[in-house]
Amino acid sequence: MLRITGGSVYDPANSINGEVRDLYIADGKFVDKESCDSGRVIDATGMIIFPGGVDVHTHVAGGSINFARAMTPEDHRRTQAFIRTKTRRSGLGGMAPTTFATGYLYAGMGYTTVNEAAVPVLSARHTHEELSDIPIVDKSSLVLMANNEIFLDLLEEGETERAKQVIAWYLWAAKAYGIKAVNPGGVAAWKYGDNASQLTEPVSGYKNVTPGNIVAQLAQIIDELGIPHPIHLHCNNLGAPGNVSTTLETMKHLEGRRAHFAHLQYHAYGGDDWGTMRSASVELAEYFNAHPNMTTDAGAVLFGDTVTITADGPWQHLLYKLTGRKWGNLDVENETGCGIVPYTYKPSNLVNAVQWATGLELLLLIDDPWRVFMSTDHPNGACFWRYPEILQLLMSADFRKECMACLPANIKNRITLPEIDREYTLYELATIISAGPARALGLKQKGNLGVGADADVVIYNRNVNIAEMFGHPRYVIKSGEIVIEEGDIRETPDGREYIIKPSFDPGTDDFLQPLFEDRYCMSFENYPVEMERIENPHLQDCKPQQ
Amino acid sequence: MQKSRFLPRGRKDRTMVLVDIRETKSVKAADIFLQVRPGKDFELLTILRAMIKDQPISDAEVAETGVSIEALQDLVARMKAAKFGAMFFGMGLSMTRGKHMNSAALLTLAAEMNAFTKFVAMPMRGHGNVTGADVIMRWQTGYPFGISFNRGYPRYNPGEFSTVDVLVRGDTDCVFVIGADPGATMPQPAIDHLARVPTIVLDPHVTHTSRLAKVHITTAPAGISAPGTAYRMDEIPLPLRPALKSSYPTDEEVTRRIKEAIQAKPDWMVEGPQRLETQV
Repeated sequence: MLRITGGSVYDPANSINGEVRDLYIADGKFVDKESCDSGRVIDATGMIIFPGGVDVHTHVAGGSINFARAMTPEDHRRTQAFIRTKTRRSGLGGMAPTTFATGYLYAGMGYTTVNEAAVPVLSARHTHEELSDIPIVDKSSLVLMANNEIFLDLLEEGETERAKQVIAWYLWAAKAYGIKAVNPGGVAAWKYGDNASQLTEPVSGYKNVTPGNIVAQLAQIIDELGIPHPIHLHCNNLGAPGNVSTTLETMKHLEGRRAHFAHLQYHAYGGDDWGTMRSASVELAEYFNAHPNMTTDAGAVLFGDTVTITADGPWQHLLYKLTGRKWGNLDVENETGCGIVPYTYKPSNLVNAVQWATGLELLLLIDDPWRVFMSTDHPNGACFWRYPEILQLLMSADFRKECMACLPANIKNRITLPEIDREYTLYELATIISAGPARALGLKQKGNLGVGADADVVIYNRNVNIAEMFGHPRYVIKSGEIVIEEGDIRETPDGREYIIKPSFDPGTDDFLQPLFEDRYCMSFENYPVEMERIENPHLQDCKPQQ
Repeated sequence: MQKSRFLPRGRKDRTMVLVDIRETKSVKAADIFLQVRPGKDFELLTILRAMIKDQPISDAEVAETGVSIEALQDLVARMKAAKFGAMFFGMGLSMTRGKHMNSAALLTLAAEMNAFTKFVAMPMRGHGNVTGADVIMRWQTGYPFGISFNRGYPRYNPGEFSTVDVLVRGDTDCVFVIGADPGATMPQPAIDHLARVPTIVLDPHVTHTSRLAKVHITTAPAGISAPGTAYRMDEIPLPLRPALKSSYPTDEEVTRRIKEAIQAKPDWMVEGPQRLETQV
């Protein structure tokens, strides 16, 4: 049992805005005062209390990040090393941290839940093995679906009911938590060197399947299956100047349905080419603000070195040609693909400067903090351990002005950041880093300091230096256990893994098996991930909507 | 070979080109065989890189590789006309004159071919679950092999920390061998060192290494009587389902028990917490 007394509590899920409250913890959950009559007391007088952070979109485990690790040994050797102790495994931080270090670094900045946002079913077993090696935090994963050949073939034939059963089957086979769609149709076309950039044009190899109907059908299926997290969408034309038109059109295709737009910054550009590229955050935020069916995460960019990894194979080939740096490409049979390119965002580079401003603009122009979340699309825009730097930029307009002084002079008229003077409050920050993403993921027990919720809490010392304050919490408590205290890692418990089991027709196996044997190079019975392979599985409800 | 939507006639719709220094058994399976002069892989690959971009090459440079210009022109035309090209390479490239430079040249050729059509390249791995070892080392330490933990955290330097180098230098005072037979393949100084120090081998069979080891623990063979996971060459994990029962323990069980026994001993690392410092 644990009591935390006298702190200023920021708990947006329960509309508590900085009031001094005491928190009581027993058996890993928040309880009422009467159920907690002994145990340690943390005197948090003068301190700030947030629910544990929830990362709605990150890449921390699986084939792609592991490929990125292999490609960047030069970064590993200059980064912070975690030295092993009796209770802690060794590892390395940096652009693509090792699994154990990932858990320590996330917990070290007060995050207690992470959502791995891109898992091919074919290598889901690998992803789960890595996730079980990430200590402390709770985890979930999203499975890639928008370029799956069997699914696209069913759409082509108009077999939507069958497609729904197949999606549910795949989800359970991967032991995933939700559905991710990356460059719908584009990654499938990339197998033959093509892309899909127009929402209404058929995907190569198909007559009826367009990116637009892939997203609309997937969103429909996800709602019908009652999957807690809506379609998690990486739109077509990521990173391309002028792509805001594609993004807006995609949003129109999803009107009236739930949808989460991943790393919106990469989809919010105006202009016609690299020379005229500008931020289109104003028009995008305007549309977004008027449509409450959508949530998004920022995909913000920070200047510095990182490694970009995405299922968007064609984009990565373009990035390789642009930068001339290392390029890794993985094609995942007929399901999806992946590309990896190390990248350095420079303030002197006009495109990078526009990207930096666009991410912040979206966070500041979208007025409902319950619908826009903190993310850098780790490691694409910046590494997750740099989130506190972004929080500082959000909380201080003066600091933003200081940073903008380093941008190229010709950025004028390409960004709106200089005209925005909004500053985030602590309450709003607690919403975008914890309560909001937890709600979007359908994890009611997370991002919540109310009785019955998981006792994941962060306690910060007040500090005028916001980046330092959020980068180095005084205490981090995970499931009622103090894991970080005064900057030291105290305990490294294993986290849970959230999975769902949508119901599907038991005949789906018989339907899929012949198709599978025709298209895959692994046997059908080896394909689904066995339940025993999930460490601490936690089945979340998945009920079709009435 | 698998038939598919885009290659309905299976093998007949595919073209296989084999490049080797001698006629191997694989030649029969190939449509085209190109015999490269030993040690000239890098030159051949560099010429191909020039040819796909229509850059000038001299007859003397081509003659040096042992392959005719006509054959190379035909190869380049076929590569560019392919819908999807894949290059597989093995130790003949990575362990001969030029070593990693050869691999780099081939990978660059594959990357550059994407200006014309879809091309990929993949290393052919050795025996056993070597890809699996690679994959796990990468997620746990950031590096695939050649790792030293002697400072308490992973450091990487192939040529210094690779098994063969550590053994040849005689840097270890104990060797633990699992799923490998270095006694059969490594240079003599490395083998001498294996015999000199306490070498412990976990293997279902008697091997060259187990003969010179101080301890050989017989384990159940993975995939036959021990469960587990093997990573395919393309890093797709496959579950191993044992068909038989074995009275021998699995590699995992033996390793776990050795680890527990070691953990019971006093720790040699400095005790105390570590601070989360600022990342760079």
